[in-house]
Amino acid sequence: MKPARSVVEIWQWGGPSHIDTFDPKPKADRDYNGGLKAISTNVPGMEIHEWWPELAKCANLYSIIRSMTHSEFGHETATYLMQTGRMPGGGEVYPAIGAVISQIKRKSYKGDLPPYVILTREKGRFSEVGFFGAAAAPLVTGGRPNAPHFSVEGIVPPEGISPNAMLERFSMLDELDTWKPAANSCNAGQAALFDTAGQEARRISSGDAAKVFDLSLESKDMRDRYGRNITGQSLLVARRLVEYGVPYITVNVPGWDSHKRHFETMRRKSQELDLAIATLLQDLKSKGLLDSTIVWMSGEFGRTPKVGWDAPWNGGRGHYARCFSALVAGGGFKGGIVVGASDDTASRPLYRPVAPQDFLGSIYACCGIDPDAIMPNDLGKRVTVLPPQSSAGRLRELYAESA
Amino acid sequence: MDTNLTRRAFFGGTMAWTVWPKSVFGALQQPGERQQHPQASIWEKPDGSATDSVMVRRLYLDLAGRIPTGDEARTYVHDSDGKKFETLVDVLLSSQDFANYWTMRFCDILRVKSEFPINLWPNAVYVYHARIRNFVERNEAWDAFGRTLLTAQGSDFRDAEANFFRATDMRTPEGWAEATAQTFLGIPPYKLEPALKKKIASFFSGVKIKETREWKEEIVYVDGIDKRGELCDLLFGGQRTDVALAFENTIRHWIFGPGSTAVKPPAGELRLKDMLRNIVLSPEYARGSITGGFPVRRLDAEVLDDAICTLSDSSRDYQSPAPEPFTFLPPKRATVCVEDGSITNGFLTLFGRPARDTGLPEERGQDVTAKQRLYLFNSGKLHQQLGRIVAPPGKFSGNKPNPILQMPLPKRIDDLYWRMLAREPTPRERQTILGVWQKRGGGKKRNVRPFELLRDVAWCIVNTKEFIFRT
Repeated sequence: MKPARSVVEIWQWGGPSHIDTFDPKPKADRDYNGGLKAISTNVPGMEIHEWWPELAKCANLYSIIRSMTHSEFGHETATYLMQTGRMPGGGEVYPAIGAVISQIKRKSYKGDLPPYVILTREKGRFSEVGFFGAAAAPLVTGGRPNAPHFSVEGIVPPEGISPNAMLERFSMLDELDTWKPAANSCNAGQAALFDTAGQEARRISSGDAAKVFDLSLESKDMRDRYGRNITGQSLLVARRLVEYGVPYITVNVPGWDSHKRHFETMRRKSQELDLAIATLLQDLKSKGLLDSTIVWMSGEFGRTPKVGWDAPWNGGRGHYARCFSALVAGGGFKGGIVVGASDDTASRPLYRPVAPQDFLGSIYACCGIDPDAIMPNDLGKRVTVLPPQSSAGRLRELYAESA
Repeated sequence: MDTNLTRRAFFGGTMAWTVWPKSVFGALQQPGERQQHPQASIWEKPDGSATDSVMVRRLYLDLAGRIPTGDEARTYVHDSDGKKFETLVDVLLSSQDFANYWTMRFCDILRVKSEFPINLWPNAVYVYHARIRNFVERNEAWDAFGRTLLTAQGSDFRDAEANFFRATDMRTPEGWAEATAQTFLGIPPYKLEPALKKKIASFFSGVKIKETREWKEEIVYVDGIDKRGELCDLLFGGQRTDVALAFENTIRHWIFGPGSTAVKPPAGELRLKDMLRNIVLSPEYARGSITGGFPVRRLDAEVLDDAICTLSDSSRDYQSPAPEPFTFLPPKRATVCVEDGSITNGFLTLFGRPARDTGLPEERGQDVTAKQRLYLFNSGKLHQQLGRIVAPPGKFSGNKPNPILQMPLPKRIDDLYWRMLAREPTPRERQTILGVWQKRGGGKKRNVRPFELLRDVAWCIVNTKEFIFRT
């Protein structure tokens, strides 16, 4: 099996309900399923929630894990656990999976854009780069991909400054930036770093890299297919980044923390994301990129199976980590498979529990990264990519292990 | 007392200061061979010492955590008093800016942040920050302050020092041993000998933390015999050589970078202002950075942000949506003054503001990266700010025209240089800028305005090494 070249992470910040996504319980009481149904997919026997009709049409492209489980009910700790495979503490702050994969893959990556790109905002609340430090920091696009002109802060000049005006600026800058340490000075290295970084930045903003973010190069039809909203257009940018070769792309989709009026929120959020991710999978497939690209989607946990109908929740769901779902596709992962199962109310995994490190370990493995190897770093730290002895639970039913 | 706890056995071993990334600061060098530089005289005198313009900017950045205003720079440079540098040192050391900036530095190493993985939570952050600011502003001795931290107990809301025991992601005797070794001996956890860690941890064996019925209030207390005073006697009693060396190195490295390590511990008391005063009045500090070997440092993320905001009379709104209830900082709050390491933004992350997760010096990124330069080249936000630097809207009042806009172009160029670089432009720089003006048809074509030219000049200055570095 050839290792995946790129990863697209779709992070459902806040924790999406597993019942209302990939683990519907149509036979359970309304207190659990809200009176909503399941629909069948194009894979016989595989059902998902009725609010995900587009994904139902292409279930052969992805697999579902219905027995994700851990025991952290707070957003930050659960996010850290789902992103690093470790619990906080021990005087060490570990980098998230995006930082690890991009740092390892940057050696073989030839593009001008940073190897780790986040659309459009960071998760926040914890430092994704951990002990790697600022050098591993992702490019966070900011901006609104759904706007007529999607401007990534810093990649292209601001509106109103023409390429010629930029050239004029650079030529004046060359005249004015004259502070220069003596060649044998202790400052020579810093000055050289400043200049090299500047040359690299100029190359990025004037070359093809900047075009990756220019959605006007896509057809109107293609933009419509992804959905004309931030989520949809972010996933379209993600596909362009995959084509460009960026090793790790995260699309943070916030808004799943639906303590109150859950069903209203969920319906709206599902509609956008259903269309966007189904289009992404089919688009990658048709471009021949799905085999080399892992797409995964999860939040930090699921939501309470039982609905809180009374005020102040008015039909809300709380945090729930004991059982939740995740989706994984492409890059060596088989499609059309359901891993694990939950009980009648989706409260506990019935069998095949999958811990965060099992899930992450499988993604690492499909990227050709040994989760038990020492994490590359300049600080002399001898720590493995994932905690030692966490190999047993990896999703080997979904991928063929390379020799 | 265990007789094995001799100073050497207890605190011996290498200090941690080798962990700084080499690329941030090169090794200090002695003034060496002079090299010809076409414009060196702006920055350096023939003897290799720095000019007044360099010194005034350097001192403001190091002591006050900000660049001097145009007026402050002009006044200093044109002052003929032979004691003007000493005077300025004392003025700055007693300023609020000094207290703000150096509090930020100490909050970095003491991990003052609300959220993950430290989880001090907002109330405790503000109480602890205020206490650290008192230490800085009142020039408390470091060892006396250390003793209040290490022996603290009580509520995190009322007994600020007790937060020393909460501001770590490992609230156990081992975790506190690591925090102690790192803060007072300069030994990072990954270099701390297990035996030493165990010994220090033994002094914390009875320390516990319990919750109260008040939301996020916690009480630090000692169950059994409190042995922490003994630890303080070991650390701070007698010669306290290791603590003194570590403290001086902390300060020296913030000023000179890790190439500079004190050979012998400082004489006298360990007081921040006194130590800084000695450092900035030393001949070492007066050297130039072209041939003189004074090491440059990229402006801290917070300081750079404040510089651009102040120059452009703009500000950022700081708020935190987590935890509830939301935190909103007052508008126009300088970034250096933001108490909570959890309240941040993309700019600060990009320019290496430390996450305050570990408190280690290497958490602060001070390298220049391509991503940073992309921001400085192309950012839309910066573009707006540059426009405001050239024509500060705050200067308009009533129907009066902005006085800056009334100045003739050469004066406006001078004004920009003083405000941004604490010096006037050289004849060559003036010539370059006016050359561009003429080439564009300035003064002839009606649609060619000084505003765009000056905005381009401001863009250039922001992108020079002289602006980005403390030289």
